[in-house]
Amino acid sequence: MAMSFSLPLVKMQALHKSYADGAIQVLKGIDIEMKPGERVVVIGPSGGGKSTLLRVMMGLEKIDSGSVTFDGKPYISSGVKESKTVIDMSVRRSIGMVFQHYTLFPHLNVLQNLTLAPCKVRGEAKAKAQDRAQTLLERFGLGAKAKAYPAQLSGGQKQRVAIARALMLDPKLMLFDEVTSALDPELVGEVEQVILQLAAQNMPMMIVTHDMWFARNIASRVIFCAGGVVVEDGPPEQVLGSPKEERTKEFIDRVFHINQ
Amino acid sequence: MELDFSILSKFQYALRLGLWTTLKLTVICIVLGCALGFAVGLARTSRNIAVRAVSSAYVEFFRGTPVLVQLFWIFFCLPLMLGVELSNFTSGVVALTLYMGAITSETFRASLKSIGPEQFDACVALGLPRNVQVINVVLPQAVLRAIPTLLSNCVSLFKESALVSAVGMADLMFVGQNISNNTARPVEVLTVVALIYFVIAFPLTRAVSVIEARILRKLAI
Ligand SMILES: Nc1ncnc2c1ncn2[C@@H]1O[C@H](COP(=O)(O)OP(=O)(O)OP(=O)(O)O)[C@@H](O)[C@H]1O
Ligand SMILES: [Mg+2]
Repeated sequence: MAMSFSLPLVKMQALHKSYADGAIQVLKGIDIEMKPGERVVVIGPSGGGKSTLLRVMMGLEKIDSGSVTFDGKPYISSGVKESKTVIDMSVRRSIGMVFQHYTLFPHLNVLQNLTLAPCKVRGEAKAKAQDRAQTLLERFGLGAKAKAYPAQLSGGQKQRVAIARALMLDPKLMLFDEVTSALDPELVGEVEQVILQLAAQNMPMMIVTHDMWFARNIASRVIFCAGGVVVEDGPPEQVLGSPKEERTKEFIDRVFHINQ
Repeated sequence: MELDFSILSKFQYALRLGLWTTLKLTVICIVLGCALGFAVGLARTSRNIAVRAVSSAYVEFFRGTPVLVQLFWIFFCLPLMLGVELSNFTSGVVALTLYMGAITSETFRASLKSIGPEQFDACVALGLPRNVQVINVVLPQAVLRAIPTLLSNCVSLFKESALVSAVGMADLMFVGQNISNNTARPVEVLTVVALIYFVIAFPLTRAVSVIEARILRKLAI
């Protein structure tokens, strides 16, 4: 029991990632260990590599070197040959991601958006997937929108649908990349509520956000990332309240100043 | 000069037969040509350089040569090279399908390009295998976005199909030309033939703008 408790859910080791054939170094040695049930909020200046970090975790980007294990299994590693990244697809399937720009399929209605992956990836029966989808939509206050097309929804509704779509695959980890940044201010709350709902059920998650109120409320841990490295890592009260590092302090002061 | 359209009533049956050939040829080549065009459109975005080169060469060749030359080549040279006799109709289908494939591949390529990279991110995040990505995500969006232009492509093909009369295929144009030669009444006959083409093509061109507005609204592009 004690052993499984200490087993990390995610273990990133010396992750390096560059774009444009090494011309743009974005991740310069990231080591993050995440325990099951943790909700890690990643904050940091624009261009610091936060999105890149989540995209690597989702298996959307190749890495230069380093490795990631998930639930004790090897997930991502740089292959023997350079520029080859090995990704374990079965592990990738247990991770879900929601993006800043609602990436719903515009030609499918809400219900079809939710059931496409379960039916096609897991071979789930259509009726059963639709039942689960409807339940999920109702939980998120979208019960009446099952037949609507994405173009007929507000930004907040679209983003809630995107979260529901990811949850249809029963992920063991959810990644959220600035999911409220593109929303009108009055729609931010409804999306954050849904994520807080998930947090209450102990869903492990990594969240990139610029919303410090949300960060404080959702995080069990905050990581300040700048210049491609982890600058500070600790409980939210520490990193957001009384940061140890000078760079963190500067950033927090600036962001709170803007938020007020 | 005096116009007498009544002479045409005698040739109603022949004209109808010609129109039937034109329509059959057009519809078959639309179906085959669009399928070919989609495949070639995909091939042109392939990561494999050989696939890209071959598909581009095909498209550029067929876009860069007159349809009439393509028709003559397939009617007269292809049988010599293959050593088999092709029926007129088969040759016509082959020629116009290749032409249509080249034209629509450009249409599909543009619509494929307009599908943003974030759609592919979503596919990966949902673990959709490549074939599901193509069939359930890429194809329907590409087709929806391409429909207005595809309809114009179809109208063009319908009109271009008149060229097959030059290689002796008995389509509407061929029949019309024959009647006009035999009756020495080119004005009446060719006017009516033009009207038949127009009556079919015009509603289609009008439909393009209506459908375009609807699709744009639905996809919110
Ligand atoms: N596909 C790409 N090709 C080249 N450079 C890229 C690419 N994606 C990101 N970058 C660069 O990598 C750096 C890190 O980008 P990233 O999006 O990870 O930052 P971020 O911390 O998420 O910033 P933001 O807060 O603005 O979202 C930036 O300098 C960016 O310009
Ligand atoms: Mg970002």
